[in-house]
Amino acid sequence: MIEIHAVTVRFGGLVALNEVSATLTAPVAGIIGPNGAGKTTLMNVVSGFITAHSGRVMIEAQDFLSLAPHKRAQKGLRRSFQKGQIADDLTVLENVLVQTDWSLTGAHAKRAEAMEMLDVVGLADRAGKIGAALSGFERRLTDVARCMVGQPRLIMFDEPAGGLSVEETQRLGDLVLQIHGLIGAQTVIIDHDVDLISRICAETLVLDFGRRIAFGPTAEVLADPRVKAAYLGTEEIVP
Amino acid sequence: MDRSLFHITPSGAAGLIFSALCFVFLPMLAGSYWLSIFTSTAIFALAISGVAFMYARLGMVSLTQVGLMGVGGWLTLRLNYLWDMPFEVNMLCAALATMIFGWILALPALRMRGLYLALVTLMAAGGLEILFATYQFPNGGEGVWGVKTGSGEAFRRPLLAQTPEAYLRYCIVIATLGFLFIEGHRRLFPGRAWALIRRSEAAAMAAGVNVTLYKTWAFGIAGAIAGASGALLAGSLGLLDDGTFRSSESIMLFALAVVGGARFWLGVVIAAVLFRVLPGLLNTWGVDTDLAFVIFGAGLLHALITAPNGIAGQIHDLVAKLTGRGANP
Repeated sequence: MIEIHAVTVRFGGLVALNEVSATLTAPVAGIIGPNGAGKTTLMNVVSGFITAHSGRVMIEAQDFLSLAPHKRAQKGLRRSFQKGQIADDLTVLENVLVQTDWSLTGAHAKRAEAMEMLDVVGLADRAGKIGAALSGFERRLTDVARCMVGQPRLIMFDEPAGGLSVEETQRLGDLVLQIHGLIGAQTVIIDHDVDLISRICAETLVLDFGRRIAFGPTAEVLADPRVKAAYLGTEEIVP
Repeated sequence: MDRSLFHITPSGAAGLIFSALCFVFLPMLAGSYWLSIFTSTAIFALAISGVAFMYARLGMVSLTQVGLMGVGGWLTLRLNYLWDMPFEVNMLCAALATMIFGWILALPALRMRGLYLALVTLMAAGGLEILFATYQFPNGGEGVWGVKTGSGEAFRRPLLAQTPEAYLRYCIVIATLGFLFIEGHRRLFPGRAWALIRRSEAAAMAAGVNVTLYKTWAFGIAGAIAGASGALLAGSLGLLDDGTFRSSESIMLFALAVVGGARFWLGVVIAAVLFRVLPGLLNTWGVDTDLAFVIFGAGLLHALITAPNGIAGQIHDLVAKLTGRGANP
């Protein structure tokens, strides 16, 4: 469970997030909003790359805002980036192993877990392939496997379906739906693909201009006139 | 691709065979002039491996390597005249001291990248150059600085390497061990962390990598290697002078690492050969050795325009094309 309490972020005079609060409890939750709504900023606050001006973020009752980004990762927070960050000169397996290298668990156990997660995402047979030789979807799947190792508590995906085909998005959605059952982690997804969000997210937070405009069960949220207005705009009658 | 610690890749096997051939044949074939040049080449290959490692693995440009060699050389000479300890102990002390120096240097440099990091390290090299010119290198004199006028005291070489031939072999072994030390790191968790840091510091932090720790670690390794190289240089010559450790030499080492190919062991060897053997050849042919700078400049231009992985990268690509296998540094 992730609790976001009155998080405010300012960049000079611009208020990127304005007193945003939400308690995400569903195994798979979504954050949507138009471009510039503050979705990635919120993810950056949670993962420690942006310091909030005020507010609190609790993950399973633990305050995360006081921790450095790498410490948050070690405490079970995972995140992906819009542009897949796979090291080109590491193999797929090494790209996954790096997530648990800090841990004192035995090397064999870490390797076995990494291989298990690569099997889950369907990349076990390409574990020895170097990052530079991967397709865009394989890079994304490697990212997902990396987020799944090391017993994470919360996984955040930033626009994971960006640049993927319909079939690949479908497969990715199926994979995300399996995460909670497999490793018990909660997943939060930011995406513009409303079809994907409505299919896999039980609850959704909608942001617009740094403010929360809706939050609740995804179907209800997507039917909210304010959400429709934020996405599609309001009708303007020219006299 | 198998990258377990003890797996020998074709490229690695070629490197070990090359090292063994050098170990056996170079001292047998070379006269005193070339013995001295090959010894210096092996020593600078070790020093360049530190610069190349920083650049290839972390994308960081360190221009203090020759200055740190000077620190290692100074400490080795000082310890040699101060106490009756074996050369290896003095070399280890020098490497440890320059490793710590590397960490200290890393502290202000950690928040910098690219040109700014290069400038900070170059300034440190400039500072060391001034210190070397002011205080000179110990030669058996009294006091903290250990400098005396006239001829210096004798320097104790390693017990295993009393002759110039044996010392060349000794330097080849130490350089090979240095290469293996770096390769071992590359294959284990520090190598994975460095690769991700190079890709994106944010991604590395998100993966739980302590970026500060691993960058400092890298600076420490490069520093230790520079210190050991400086110790070997002191052992080779028995005395050192400040002219060897100019900051411009650090720039030259980095440029040649780029020309040779920083990602490959062969690139480091090519860089060392260009740095030491080429001027020696020009000298033998009666040509002005400054011509080497023109050749270096042309090589750098070639690397920047057509060969981002240097000459060694081109050789690896060619071998991969001929054998139908992927190039592996």
